[in-house]
Amino acid sequence: MIKDLLNYLFQFAVLILAQLLVFNNIELSGFINPYVYVLFILLIPFEIPKLVLLVSAFLLGLSVDLFLGTPGVHSSACVFMAFARPRVLALFSPREGYQTGTLPRISYFGLEWFVKYTMMLVLLHHFILFYLEVLTLHHFFATFFRALLSSLLTSLIIVISQYFIFRK
Amino acid sequence: MRNLLRFIVQYHFLILFLLIETFSLFLLFSANPYQKVRFYNYSHDISGRMSTRIENIKDYLSLRDENRILAEENARLYNRLGSSFARVAADSVYMGDSIQPRKFLYLTARVVNNTVNKQFNYLTLDKGSLSGIKPEMAVIGSEGIVGIVKSVSDNYASVLSALNRDFIVSAKIQKNGYFGPLKWNGNSADYATLVDIPHHVKIETGDTIVTSGFGGVFPEGYHIGTISDFRLKGGNYYEIRVKLSTDFRKLNYVQVIKNYALNEIDSLEKANKP
Repeated sequence: MIKDLLNYLFQFAVLILAQLLVFNNIELSGFINPYVYVLFILLIPFEIPKLVLLVSAFLLGLSVDLFLGTPGVHSSACVFMAFARPRVLALFSPREGYQTGTLPRISYFGLEWFVKYTMMLVLLHHFILFYLEVLTLHHFFATFFRALLSSLLTSLIIVISQYFIFRK
Repeated sequence: MRNLLRFIVQYHFLILFLLIETFSLFLLFSANPYQKVRFYNYSHDISGRMSTRIENIKDYLSLRDENRILAEENARLYNRLGSSFARVAADSVYMGDSIQPRKFLYLTARVVNNTVNKQFNYLTLDKGSLSGIKPEMAVIGSEGIVGIVKSVSDNYASVLSALNRDFIVSAKIQKNGYFGPLKWNGNSADYATLVDIPHHVKIETGDTIVTSGFGGVFPEGYHIGTISDFRLKGGNYYEIRVKLSTDFRKLNYVQVIKNYALNEIDSLEKANKP
C-alpha cells in the first residue's frame, strides 16, 4: 500500500519534470504543444476514491501552472478531466466490467481500449486548456486545430510511452 | 436537513468537482492586482530559481552560437569606435558631447524562462528591482526588439514578450519614416503585423522596419524586422506582414533599456488629455 503510494508520488514528480524539461520545449511550428503530464490521471487505479482523484488532479495542474505562471489554466483542465474520467471509463467498459486488481493499462485491456480511453480524456483536457488560455472565441478555428493536433500528438506520445514504461 | 445531507452524500462527487473547479477558475480570473502580484512574485521566485538551473545547462549547450553572436556584435561596436575612422585634419579630435545628458541606460540580463507557443507569452529575466529594473522598460536582444518589462520582484523581472497579443509598439518604415502600430497576431513566432500605413506609400518586400521611438519606451531606430509581404486592407491602408529579426526561440542575453526622459514625456502627454 505504502509502496504503491510512493510509486504514484514518484510518477507525479517525474511527469511534471518531464513536462517542464522536455515537452514544454516541443512546439511544432509554434502551433502544436503536447501536454503529456496528464498521463498521471490516466494511470491512477480504478478503485481510487473519487475525492482523492479530484484533489490529486488539482494538485497536478496547479504544480504545472506554478511553473508556467498561468494560475488556474492547467488546474481547471485537469480537474475537469478527473471529473470526466469515471464517465469515460463507464462508456468504454468491457462486458464484464473492470475487475478488482486490474489497472488501466494496455497489458490488461488491450491497445484499442487504451487508445480510445486516452484520446477521449486528452481531447477533453486539451480543448478546455487551449480555450481557457486564449479566453476568446475570436480565432475559434485556429484554437480548434491547435487543440486537436496537440491532442493527437499527446495521445501518440502517451501510447508509445506505455511500451517503454511497462514492458511485459 | 436529512434530505440535504442525503443530497450531499449522493452528489458528493459533483459538488466537490464544482467546488474545486470554481476555485481553479477563481485563480484564473482573480483580477485583484495585489494578490496577483503577490502570487506572481512567489511563483517567480521559486520557478525563477529552478529555471536558472535549467537555463545554466542550456546556456552551456548553446555557447557556440552565443559566441558567434557576441563576436558579430563586437565587430559592429568596434566599427563605431573613434579609432576606426580616419582622422580628417590633424588638429581635430572627436569628443563626446559633455553638454548632452545621458538619455538611455542599458542593463544586461539573462533570460531564464521563455515561451513562444502561447497566445500570451512572457519572459523571465534574472534581474529585478534590486538591479534597477522597473516596469515599462524596453527589452531588446542583439538582433532586435524583445518586449517590455511588465512586473518585477526583487531578483527577477517578468517581460511582456513581443509575441503577446497584448503587445503593441509604434514602428516605422526605415526608408521613408511612415509609422503605424505593430502587433502580434498569435499565429507564428516569426511574424508580426504592421497596420495603418497609407496606400500611397511605396513599400517593397525586404524593407526594414524599426522602432519609431514614439511612446518613449523604445529608443528610436531599433530593428524590428523586414517586410515579408503586404496587402491593401479596405483599399486605404496596408496590412504588412513583418518577419521579426529576433529569434525568440533561442534568446539568451538581452539588454534592458532605461529611458531617463520617460516620466517627463508621460506627464507632458497626460496633460494634453482632457
